[in-house]
Amino acid sequence: MTDVVISGLSKSFGSNRVLQSLDLRVPSRQFVTLLGPSGCGKTTLLRLIAGLEKSSQGEIRFGEKRVDTLAPGDRNIAMVFQSYALYPTMSVARNIGYGLEVRRIGKPERTARIGAVAKVLEILHLLARKPKALSGGQRQRVALGRAMVRKPDIFLMDEPLSNLDAKLRAAMRGELRRFHLDLGTTTIYVTHDQLEAMTMSDLVVVMNEGVVQQIGTPEEVYARPANLFVAGFIGTPPMNLVPARHEGGVLSVAGAKLPVAVPPGAPAELILGIRPQDLGVARPGDAGTIPGKVWMVELIGSERLIEMEVAPKLRLTAEVRARQRAAIDDAIAFRPDPAQIHLFDPATGASLTAAR
Amino acid sequence: MNRWLAALLYALLCAVTFVVCFPLLWAISTSLKPKEEIFRWPPTLLPERFTFESYRELLFGGSAASAPGAGTPPSDFFLHWFANSIIVSVGSTVISITVATLAAYSLTRFRFFGQRAVPYVAIMGYMIPSVIFVFPMFLTLVELDLTDTLLGLTLGYVCITLPFCLWLMWAFFRGVPLEIEEAALVDGASRLQVFRQIVLPVALPGIIAASIFAFIVSWNDYLFGRVFMNSMELLPLTVGVMHFFDGTHVDWGLMMASSVLMTVPMAILFGFMQRHLVAGFGAGAVKG
Ligand SMILES: Nc1ncnc2c1ncn2[C@@H]1O[C@H](COP(=O)(O)OP(=O)(O)OP(=O)(O)O)[C@@H](O)[C@H]1O
Ligand SMILES: [Mg+2]
Repeated sequence: MTDVVISGLSKSFGSNRVLQSLDLRVPSRQFVTLLGPSGCGKTTLLRLIAGLEKSSQGEIRFGEKRVDTLAPGDRNIAMVFQSYALYPTMSVARNIGYGLEVRRIGKPERTARIGAVAKVLEILHLLARKPKALSGGQRQRVALGRAMVRKPDIFLMDEPLSNLDAKLRAAMRGELRRFHLDLGTTTIYVTHDQLEAMTMSDLVVVMNEGVVQQIGTPEEVYARPANLFVAGFIGTPPMNLVPARHEGGVLSVAGAKLPVAVPPGAPAELILGIRPQDLGVARPGDAGTIPGKVWMVELIGSERLIEMEVAPKLRLTAEVRARQRAAIDDAIAFRPDPAQIHLFDPATGASLTAAR
Repeated sequence: MNRWLAALLYALLCAVTFVVCFPLLWAISTSLKPKEEIFRWPPTLLPERFTFESYRELLFGGSAASAPGAGTPPSDFFLHWFANSIIVSVGSTVISITVATLAAYSLTRFRFFGQRAVPYVAIMGYMIPSVIFVFPMFLTLVELDLTDTLLGLTLGYVCITLPFCLWLMWAFFRGVPLEIEEAALVDGASRLQVFRQIVLPVALPGIIAASIFAFIVSWNDYLFGRVFMNSMELLPLTVGVMHFFDGTHVDWGLMMASSVLMTVPMAILFGFMQRHLVAGFGAGAVKG
């Protein structure tokens, strides 16, 4: 039952401002993902919450309790490090039980709890081994076990899946989600993999350059990106972002008029965003389409990506069924789904359509 | 082709091993020869008649052959010297390692002024030949009234072994990932627990390597023992055995037997430590 409330948190390393007045509320029992590009301050935020780093400003509360001044060991958190950080000289069993050992929990109870966790994680047969005799996936389970055995108030996980192969990663995603549903412990999970963020979380916190860009459910950040950064960062292939104009209530991209209602008060020059999945192929000349020339075609399994050149240096990508064929340099047109068009203010980057 | 190369390499290694081991083998052989056989020409490779006379003289003293009129024969001091060498080497090793380990740990983990310079200054200090500072150090010991004491000699050895040990341990601690310590802190361990239960076990191979180094340097030193020490019963082995050379003639039997006995602690040390040196360094703490 612990929510994490962060207010006005800043962190600088020398003159490098890594986190800038960050506000964030992680509701109790939720699985919250910090998502952002490399170097945006995710690990730093996690380490601040863990107490491994001192903040320059602001405060962190767990529930009612202010924890900024507490040592990491007194916060009752468990952390899974990006590198796992297993104790190399200790057996797997002792690795898992070390937190209990230093908290003076008796041997019988310790053994029982280690056994219980190892059973859940299916690492019972590995308990006597040293970390170096484990595979990456096994090490990761041990790191998880070390966190779980403590029954902490909060789990902090720093890209725990980043070094696993694709298949194992997919399997572990499901397992981690399952653990969370079973244990119901508040979890803050760092990743730069949007697939992980989308599939696992209750809430996604999108960060860039130490600033929170958007907080929302996976559906929200995907369907209603709050600004250009979120729009460009979430979704594969990335959203098409192209300059657009509107005059007299009519929106046009490179001269092609589109049937889109522009919110009142929008500037004349806009940025239009449309996901490749929301573009369909049409005949050139149809109303409400953007004409151009096929620039590149790529088959990605059941889908095909068609890249169209509208004007020099202005290209749009559509993701269509693989049976849709297109030849390079053919004339073509894309029809955007009007309901799925996003408009952004080029000056601030803020979305003009996210509120609708 | 590869077989031939392997054979050639093998032969080369055998040759090198033989060259390296020959002096020791020769010492063993000589130490087991009766006195009249040592100077025989042409020399015998193996003793024609084995005798433990030299060893008996060193270990149990009371040589009947000792020069008449002289005081106690030097060989009677052998056990003293041996004990002195052990005390001084072990003492300086323990002090060096303790100080070096703690210092190196703080150098890699805490931020303070000069943090980066210390290890490099230390290694540069180690590169200065000891002849240069043996006399200033002697004068300092005179001030402290520590000349001709085992403590003084121990401190002298600490001075020459500490810089290198510090550097070695520093390089070692730098390779211990900080995250395993942070993991232990999050687990609730105190700083001291982290150091004792997490860091030291990981650093053990480094500690052993540094200990072996410190022990060998102290054990083999001649210069400091020669300059600092005076009393017959306080000499280290290296200086003591020079008394088997009385200005005109060398008692090779005693000399060689001493040398053989001198290598025994080394052999034991390596025998025990080798396993630890190879074993369990921190691979596997980290992904990959
Ligand atoms: N101890 C430090 N000293 C100085 N700068 C640091 C320190 N730790 C992090 N930084 C800087 O802070 C910024 C954020 O780092 P952080 O590790 O939080 O990024 P991240 O979002 O976790 O990235 P990644 O996805 O690559 O792990 C980076 O620019 C980094 O260079
Ligand atoms: Mg990181």
